[in-house]
Amino acid sequence: MAFLAPLFFVGLAALAIPVLIHLTQREKKMVQQFPSLMFVRRIPYQTVRRRKIRDLALLCVRLAALLLIIGAFARPFLWRPNAATAIGPGAREVVVLLDQSYSMAYGDRWDRAKAAARDAINRLGASDRASVVLFSSGADIALRSTAEKDRLIASFDTATPSPAATRFGPALKVAGSILAESPLPRKEAILISDFQRNGWRGEEGARLPMGSTLTPVAITGPADKPNATVTTVSLSRSTFSDQERVTVTASVANRTIAPVNGDSLTLEIAGRPIQTEPLTIAPGGSATIAFQPFTVPSRNMRVDVRAGNDALPFDNVFNFVVAPSAPVRILLVDTGARTGANLYLTRALAIGDMPKFDVQNRQPNAVTDDDLRRSSVVLLNDVDVNAGLARRLARFVQDGGGLFLAAGPRASWPQDTDLLPASLSQPIDKSRGESARVGALEYGHPVFEVFRAPRSGDFSTARFYAYRSVQAAPNAQVLARFDAGTPALVERKMGSGHVMLWASTLDLSWSDLPLKPVFLPFLHRSMVHLANYTEPMPWLTIGQVFDPDATSAKAQATGRLALTPSGKRLPLEDEGSSAQVLELSEQGFYEIRGQKANSDVTVVASNVDPGESDLTALDPAEVVAAATGTTGQNAQQAAADVPLTPEAQERSQRLWWYLLATGILLLGVDTLFSNWLSKT
Amino acid sequence: MSVAAGHSQGAIPGARFMDPSVLARIGNLELVSRAVVDGFINGMHKAPYFGASVDFAEHRGYVPGDDIRRVDWKLWARTDRYYVKEYEAESNSNFSVLLDVSKSMNYGTTGVTKLDYARILTACLTNLVHHQRDRVGLVTFDDDVVNFVPSSAKHMEVVLHTLEKVNPGRPSNLKVPFQKMAEHFGRRGVLVIISDFYDEPDAVLEAISPLRFRGNDLIVFHVLDKSELEFGFSDASAFEDIESGEQMPVVPDAFRKEYQSLVKAHLDALQQRFSANRIDYSVLDTSKPLDHALYRYLSARARMMKIR
Repeated sequence: MAFLAPLFFVGLAALAIPVLIHLTQREKKMVQQFPSLMFVRRIPYQTVRRRKIRDLALLCVRLAALLLIIGAFARPFLWRPNAATAIGPGAREVVVLLDQSYSMAYGDRWDRAKAAARDAINRLGASDRASVVLFSSGADIALRSTAEKDRLIASFDTATPSPAATRFGPALKVAGSILAESPLPRKEAILISDFQRNGWRGEEGARLPMGSTLTPVAITGPADKPNATVTTVSLSRSTFSDQERVTVTASVANRTIAPVNGDSLTLEIAGRPIQTEPLTIAPGGSATIAFQPFTVPSRNMRVDVRAGNDALPFDNVFNFVVAPSAPVRILLVDTGARTGANLYLTRALAIGDMPKFDVQNRQPNAVTDDDLRRSSVVLLNDVDVNAGLARRLARFVQDGGGLFLAAGPRASWPQDTDLLPASLSQPIDKSRGESARVGALEYGHPVFEVFRAPRSGDFSTARFYAYRSVQAAPNAQVLARFDAGTPALVERKMGSGHVMLWASTLDLSWSDLPLKPVFLPFLHRSMVHLANYTEPMPWLTIGQVFDPDATSAKAQATGRLALTPSGKRLPLEDEGSSAQVLELSEQGFYEIRGQKANSDVTVVASNVDPGESDLTALDPAEVVAAATGTTGQNAQQAAADVPLTPEAQERSQRLWWYLLATGILLLGVDTLFSNWLSKT
Repeated sequence: MSVAAGHSQGAIPGARFMDPSVLARIGNLELVSRAVVDGFINGMHKAPYFGASVDFAEHRGYVPGDDIRRVDWKLWARTDRYYVKEYEAESNSNFSVLLDVSKSMNYGTTGVTKLDYARILTACLTNLVHHQRDRVGLVTFDDDVVNFVPSSAKHMEVVLHTLEKVNPGRPSNLKVPFQKMAEHFGRRGVLVIISDFYDEPDAVLEAISPLRFRGNDLIVFHVLDKSELEFGFSDASAFEDIESGEQMPVVPDAFRKEYQSLVKAHLDALQQRFSANRIDYSVLDTSKPLDHALYRYLSARARMMKIR
């Protein structure tokens, strides 16, 4: 038995009060004046009588009540040195959060982290339960809430660092959910990590349940072992002898305090070393190494840049995919009757690198289905479209193709094919008087987004001497208007494709727009938008999501599989449902292919987050404070593996409550008892 | 003013007296004493005045020079000799009240304190004596002489005024003031001592003796409150001595019998000692009217009045 506030025992002096009351209360309750005590003094009886305690039972009740109340204020509790491991109110729910990010592979950090986790589990009491959560950019529960130490240790003993980066937020949220579901009174999370600064932005919003403690175990140390990190590569394309060549330039950084000497950097294509360059980097420095250009004969070339072995091997290799640049194929439909009608168009589309434009010219009656299949965009340059072509173009657009119609004086569209975003009317002649200008643009649209900033292009400088009056369809969007308010550019989405109608010509017959600087970017942006072109990413980072539908792999829309770098086969469709996205979790090359043997293959390069190789640590107290709302020092102190503090033990036992209640009850008994005595 | 109804025990038959507590509320001692004395005298059905010098003593032969108006002519007719009548030569006596004004006298449970009772008694006696043409005086004392009013036929008003100003303050001590008073009462007279006599009987008698030795006639009134006689308290209390301030826890129920026996023994002892010394002694209960005291005085006065 111990007491939290033993000073209250000074109040035991109050026990003398009822004794004195019992000795003197009846005699001294009032003073009676008397002329002389000459005779009273002679009576010996009073000296005996006034010192005799009456009502001994009543006195005992009062003394007991006072004793109990004083004892309650002294906050007694039963001292249990091993209360932390005892069955009952001290049982803990412990969640061991083990950082599995690839930075933990630096030096012996992973071994130290596992040792810390084992130590935490070995210190569990008989009634404690624990969970093991391995986390990096995500968090996986390796084993949930069990008291079996062997299973807990086995759940992470064979684990190895993953190639993902550190993110504390998901781990803390998982720990919070486990602790919130636990019925045990004491909740504690043990965060074992190297506490990289990049893993914590402070706005994760992860908060452990009220009363939980978070004990940080920092696996840190000086970054005194050399480590070269291939942070990124840049690809420069060129054409030589009608062959496209790519020059790879790699950036390598050394974020340790040890220099990288005598190392090498190798360019590998399909796993075969092509070129090796020496690598020397000062502590905290970086280097850029350019390799010789190589031709790109086919798509899905697997290329990587690899540094030698060092303290952190995950960031030594950088994977990327090199493919021949894919041009946007445009089918230019023109009657050819007018000289120079396509001059500005073809010249503008001939200029372009990312992407290139491959323009084929056809007359309206010469457009074949093969032409349409090979093309991404059909550009109708002031032509009269017959009904057959219109229907084929409608199907083309429905399948995802793009259609651009320049409505000059000869342009027409059959009424029975609902494809255009606006109905064509008579030309409006603005050759006399003041010419028309484009006054309002929808800058939020991808076509005009590049002109949003000031001095990024001024359409109002172009003069229009004539244009077609058009009436926009209800489901069409007017992207540009002439100063008279009539639509100049209207877009409509049909099926998977888009249709755009330009209410004037793209030559000099009705306007001088082709002579203005905005013409080329306007035409390029329109073609890219209609072709739904996205620049292929040579690589992705682990943790990012790959959408197979956004690549050429969409050709095999069903039954696709993903082959991971480790050789696992992951189906990309649920049974009979829509396609899944692929979350990259391994370092290397993913293959996306159909189930058929001759199906097209898409290769995706996956790299580690280079930021993870920056071993700069943050103060663990910052994470603790955000997750628990307390300072790290307090949290560490509270979660230290020591027996429960006297305050905690007293709080859990609450003996004072019983003592106080009994004391008050005795006072009630005393009142009744004394009243009864006074009546008798 | 209300009048006490009926006859008190020991009262003179036919007399009606006022309740002491009522008298105490009147305040004017002259008025109080006159009302009491007049009522007392009327109740006696006696002549209003006493002490007239009319008592015959003896005959003696006429000698030249005697007033011929004093010749007893009836005796001359029978004897043919001239005789002159001699009468008792009556003189006015000194009357003084020695009043205890100590703190213990300032106690009362019946609406009147012992001191108030004693003041009224003193005023009544003084008034009564003043009617008899005696000289009246007053001495108040506690542990010393407080006020001294010499005996004089003209001091009736002074005595009453002094009584009005009496203020109890100090404990009592009979020996010192009585020794001083004995020096002043060289001429014989009547001394009435009014006190509660909280002292040993022997000590009381020893203190009073000097007065007795000077030939004074002593009448002692022992004034006590009813509670002092009967100890009729019920609640256990801390009893505090008025004079010394000493407190003592007392359970009256347990004390009463023994207390009463002690008091009775004390009073008996005083009675026995005063009687042995030819001192008239009376115990006065302040809850009872003054008639008893006045009657005792007059009885004593009658015994003491003898022809010289």
